[in-house]
Amino acid sequence: MNKAKICLNTQTPLVQFLSQIKTNDAQNPTTPDLSSLVEGVDFQYSTGGVTRMVYPLISQMIRDGTISDAHWISLNSSGPESIKANGITFHNVILQKDRLKNYGVIKEAIWGTVHGINGTTNSNDIFWSDDFADYAFYNRYSAELMKKLDNEHDFDIFYIHDFQQLPVGHMLNTLKPKVYRWHIPFDKSMIPDEWRELLATYFNSYDVIIVSSGKYLDSLKALGFKGQVKKIYPYVNPNDYSVPSAMEIMAVSQKLGIREKDEIVLIVARMDPMKAQDRAILAFASIAKAFPSLKLVCVGNGSFSSSTQGANSKSALWRKKLEDLTKKLELQDRVIFAGHLSQNELDAMYERCSFTMLPSVNEGFGLVVVESWIHHKAALVTERAGVADLIEDEKNGMLYDPENVELCAKKMSKLLVEKELARKMGNQGHKTSKLCSIDAGLKAEREVIEKLLE
Amino acid sequence: MIKLNFAEIFDPLATAGIIVLLTWLIARSTSVIIGRLMSGSKPLAAAQAKRLSWILVWAIGAILAIEQLGVRSDILLLVVGLFGAGVLVGLRVPLENFGAKYFSDIYVPFKVGDSILVSNYSGKVVEINSMCTILLSDKDNQLVSIPNSILVREVVTNSTPQAWKELTIPIAIGNSIDLATFESEVLKSVNKLKLRLDKRFPPVLTTKSRSAQSTDLSLTVMIRSPEERDALANEINKRVAEIIQRMQGAKKSD
Repeated sequence: MNKAKICLNTQTPLVQFLSQIKTNDAQNPTTPDLSSLVEGVDFQYSTGGVTRMVYPLISQMIRDGTISDAHWISLNSSGPESIKANGITFHNVILQKDRLKNYGVIKEAIWGTVHGINGTTNSNDIFWSDDFADYAFYNRYSAELMKKLDNEHDFDIFYIHDFQQLPVGHMLNTLKPKVYRWHIPFDKSMIPDEWRELLATYFNSYDVIIVSSGKYLDSLKALGFKGQVKKIYPYVNPNDYSVPSAMEIMAVSQKLGIREKDEIVLIVARMDPMKAQDRAILAFASIAKAFPSLKLVCVGNGSFSSSTQGANSKSALWRKKLEDLTKKLELQDRVIFAGHLSQNELDAMYERCSFTMLPSVNEGFGLVVVESWIHHKAALVTERAGVADLIEDEKNGMLYDPENVELCAKKMSKLLVEKELARKMGNQGHKTSKLCSIDAGLKAEREVIEKLLE
Repeated sequence: MIKLNFAEIFDPLATAGIIVLLTWLIARSTSVIIGRLMSGSKPLAAAQAKRLSWILVWAIGAILAIEQLGVRSDILLLVVGLFGAGVLVGLRVPLENFGAKYFSDIYVPFKVGDSILVSNYSGKVVEINSMCTILLSDKDNQLVSIPNSILVREVVTNSTPQAWKELTIPIAIGNSIDLATFESEVLKSVNKLKLRLDKRFPPVLTTKSRSAQSTDLSLTVMIRSPEERDALANEINKRVAEIIQRMQGAKKSD
């Protein structure tokens, strides 16, 4: 097979810039190389799938010679027009503030509806709103940039990621192969009638769609998608996770006010209503008296892009709501909001906890469960998460209906009382985690791309 | 020794140059005037009328400029005329089909992917080119080629489910217009008509083809009442034409 040229599109950029990067002079070329910048000073890597999945995939394919040229387009409100890293050229799409805000409104509405958390808000009409015109603007702008780059580089394949970029395939107007990865849940019954035709039009512009769970695959077909659907689990690199020393664990525990005798249940999730930390707190409240040294630690803050920032951001408002709930339940000393933790600190908390929870109302997959398994820790997971595909109840984890707080509390108790069962589930989970290892994921994604390039 | 008379050489050249410049100015103004006059018409028809006027103005300008350089225009016109007549006679059928494509694009309601019945042939439209429309026949999966001239002469039945609902507006925009901004403006403008449109099918703008000068697009909406089809087509055409004009104006003032 000849070496291929690939064009990628994600909303989230690989890196976010922390300082003004000088370009356009002899010392500072128009397209600077990331290696000439300092991590933590000039830039930081974005959290999530872009850094953990997409970047390693493309880097590996460049290293082994499958790909000769890669261009990656994403939204980035600051920084130079383009940068280079490991043979990949990153192109930044900059949106005006008002367009970005309106784009965010549609993004949140789609996200909320697909996850079933829009409450009383009616999102059925969003595709007829002026905000949608700006969502379309962002997608068309990205597609036009991809088209321009295609004219210059003659790509062999386009790889587009996630719901924010769904219209790009249709807007690209190319006969070249297009792969699309849908990262969030997809349950046809959650999709309003008013959305179905447009979504089907957009989906049908792709040759292959990759989803994270078997149930999403069936829903896509039921919506009328005529192309190929592949199920590939999201993946992580087990080497990115370390076993922290006792000193490191103690240091993080002290930082968070955790005593030696405390028993810990850990939730690692963005501050977002969809993550349903409130339901976990309610379940925790009902068993708190029976386990007086038990503490619930919630790790995580906001997302890369949100329609509002600062104190009024979705994440800040949700955290405030959770803090109010703990006050009301008089659990201020028992529920810890840790905010963002570094990877080492997070590893320490995984080691320190008894088990982890993923209480999400709905969840595309839930890689934190895999992270928990890597640390040999059992996970209590809602059956609506994509990762539930991999869980055999009481074998490598426990499942429950997110609406049933009482059942959640019962299962929490069981994991706290039957420690041997929890230990066995953690060890079994460790074996299951190999299905979501970077090697397994890259192999599966490579097969999809290589088949289209044959 | 040959004496060069510079005035004899440069005067006709200068005059020809001035004519070319004037032709350019007239071609541009004519294009603007036609754009304004046809602002209520279908954008594709307006774009094609502009193209035609541009060709005509330049043809006249070129003849006048050539005449300044000493070439007799009556002979030139005779040659062009004879050549044109020859072309018309020799290529009558292809030209008829080519011309019909202009009208069928704008006025015959079907597109690639639709199922149509014409001259006892029924099938799915798989290609529309400048000479003919190609159907994949329902009966035997054979390719049937229908000359475009037939499509404007004979009755065409579009049997695609809900074909009556679908309204496709062909649009051509110059490449000086930013497509992302144009799409955003069109969507906002068409949203104002949503009461008359089927809410399950939001407007979709599709890129059809691109050239160095322009991009051909189609805007698809679904109407609620068949009797409003023509009125809606006119209204959307008007709105699209206004957006094109506004964006072209803004571009010039930049």
